[in-house]
Amino acid sequence: MRSLLRACALLCSLGGLAWLALAMEVHWHQVRGGRASLAPHKARLLRVMGALALSGSLVLCLRADHASMAVLVWVMSLAVSSVGVAFALAWRPRSLSWLVGWVR
Amino acid sequence: MAWLHTWFGLVLGYVLIVVFFFGSLSVFDREIDRWALPETRFAPQPMPSFDRMLSPIFKQMKPEPAELEAARARVGGSLPAELAVMNWAVYTTHRDPVLAMYAEFAVPNNPNDPDDHVHGHVTIDPRNGRLLGDDQLKVGSEFFYPMHISLHVTWKDLGYWIVGLAALAMLAALVSGLVIHRRIFREFFTLRPRKHVQRSTLDLHNLTGVVALPFHFFFALTGLTIFAGIYLPVSETMLKPQAQAAAVHEAKAKGLPFKPAGVAAPLASVDAMVLEAKRRWAARGMAGEVGYLYVNHVGDRNSYVSLYRAGSDRVTLVGQPIHFEGTTGRVLYEEPPSSAVASVNDFLTGLHLQHFEHWLLRWFYVFGGLTGCVCIATGFIFFVEKRKRQHAQAGVSGARWVDAFAVTSVTGMLIATLAMLIANRVLPIELAQRGDWQKASFWGVWLLTFAHAAARGAMPRMTRLSPAWREQCLAVAALAPAAVILNWVTTGDHLLKTLAEGYWPVAGLDLALLAVGSIAAGAAVRLRRGERAVAAPAASLDEAAAAGAGTADREAARA
Amino acid sequence: MTTSQPTVGVVSRVAAALLGGWLFAWGFVTLGIMLLLRAGMPYSDARTLTYLLAFLVYLAGLCWSFAMRRARSAWLTLAGGGAAMTALAWWLARASL
Repeated sequence: MRSLLRACALLCSLGGLAWLALAMEVHWHQVRGGRASLAPHKARLLRVMGALALSGSLVLCLRADHASMAVLVWVMSLAVSSVGVAFALAWRPRSLSWLVGWVR
Repeated sequence: MAWLHTWFGLVLGYVLIVVFFFGSLSVFDREIDRWALPETRFAPQPMPSFDRMLSPIFKQMKPEPAELEAARARVGGSLPAELAVMNWAVYTTHRDPVLAMYAEFAVPNNPNDPDDHVHGHVTIDPRNGRLLGDDQLKVGSEFFYPMHISLHVTWKDLGYWIVGLAALAMLAALVSGLVIHRRIFREFFTLRPRKHVQRSTLDLHNLTGVVALPFHFFFALTGLTIFAGIYLPVSETMLKPQAQAAAVHEAKAKGLPFKPAGVAAPLASVDAMVLEAKRRWAARGMAGEVGYLYVNHVGDRNSYVSLYRAGSDRVTLVGQPIHFEGTTGRVLYEEPPSSAVASVNDFLTGLHLQHFEHWLLRWFYVFGGLTGCVCIATGFIFFVEKRKRQHAQAGVSGARWVDAFAVTSVTGMLIATLAMLIANRVLPIELAQRGDWQKASFWGVWLLTFAHAAARGAMPRMTRLSPAWREQCLAVAALAPAAVILNWVTTGDHLLKTLAEGYWPVAGLDLALLAVGSIAAGAAVRLRRGERAVAAPAASLDEAAAAGAGTADREAARA
Repeated sequence: MTTSQPTVGVVSRVAAALLGGWLFAWGFVTLGIMLLLRAGMPYSDARTLTYLLAFLVYLAGLCWSFAMRRARSAWLTLAGGGAAMTALAWWLARASL
């Protein structure tokens, strides 16, 4: 059960950071193609979704472990996820396109 | 700020990368011990009976011969044949199949230090009380871990000071790095591997520095506070009277005798004390095992036994001790929950020393440590690549030496580590001083990698990436799987077997070795492609000129 | 700051940062402990608290000395301040015995 919670937390961190990244023009272009535009309200929506996902990740971590460890797990999951998102954007940007497939 | 970052980072980067790398290995130091000492490859055990198993072993313990010699020199002459025992300690963790036992023996007649003492220690198999041979070098906890905290430079604690200085430089590099690279959020995910070497290296340097910033900052800071007593020894010098008075007062308040009475008396049943301690912990809603057992004033009327709970379920270190009167077994003092200050300190210390049982977090720590290594290594590469051309034209060899040291401290260090693991498997079991031979392999091979890096980075080739990088990557790609195969051949514990049994200490290290080998092989292939591509010098010069116009590259110019 | 700075100036600034900073940290710890003892905190807590803050103080001094225009002001503040705090702590320690 705990492993499942932690796995979900990690996925939420990944998704959350991906959304936060895609809220930035330069990374949006990497995923959607050079001339795709990103309306400000959509960018804001992505940022909100990102923040919610990261908060959700923290909640899941706290359910899985003692608070002192949960916080460390969460902070490190952000580090790992950030590198994951950066690598994806650098080498396989299209792999993140499904996260924003619903955005026109 | 840029000067601070570049020069403190460069000079102490060589120390720091060693500290980070061996720190990462130390996360799994006891698991590495299992790989290196096949006879200890069994499951972790709870602490065995003190009365039946540990007490007889303690009574037979002797001081370390090397320490005895040093003590003789300090006292200026002779020591009694039998030194009186001062205290005993037993330490176990949820990861250790074997048990560590320590004793301190009083050294009399030292005119400079009435509290002079020497140490003894043994390691036993807790299932049967069998002593582990003296020459069984625990490659993880007795070599990699001390390398991390003091670089094995023990003369006058100099190693601790060097590591401490490097930690301080790390903190300064983080702060100055933030000042230089202010737009950390806008460029948080920026990684452009297809740009020229300087730009993509700097991107990776920034990425690895920023995403793990809390990790890097807290580990450097807690590392310093853990050894603060070495760097700022106020209690031993200027404030000694205050410290002593407080210690005596504390002992009195707890009812713990500060000094022995000088009257012999036997020790009561410690097993009964352990039972009582566990009962009390359970009653407070924190049921647990004994992690650390300490007997003070051994054999004296004033003896007392302190039992500390193993804190493997939380970050905070071993805590909540209960003290028992040695001669009767009654509870002298049950420590109340720590003060706020002590709790914060225990949390921060526990954060660094990680005695907790949480495998995901431990692997995250390894990730953080290796990320730090990448940050430092990319820092070196960026420094060298930027200055190579200028230095080659000016006939200055600075960049060449920085590069040679960089290769030695990145791939060279990895090769030396692998060589030590291989030596561990290959050296005959009956070889005298087997542990010393393993250490010699490490240092010797590391020196060789430096010679190789220095030779291959010679002047004519200077303007291109030194071939030493690729060649050493190839060496890693060969040595890492070799270690795995040797483990199989010499112990019979091949990967399929250890995975099937779920014996993760050995399986984990074998898998990690295979991963390291394949990453190194991939790196060697990419570097080869890069070397061939440099055969078009005109293209790369144009790229460099175009990139120079970018605003973000201003920081590349400044650094 | 560039690599064209005269070497003496560089050495002086680094020394001010490291040595002066260490002295400042020493003064901070000893004075901090004595003041906390006076306020009634037990010795071990006082030492722990000042140690926790000491390296942040050292770091601040280090960075600050590199931000200063002249190495001399760095020396004065760090080494001077450190010496002053140490002297005050010394006096407090003797007075309390």
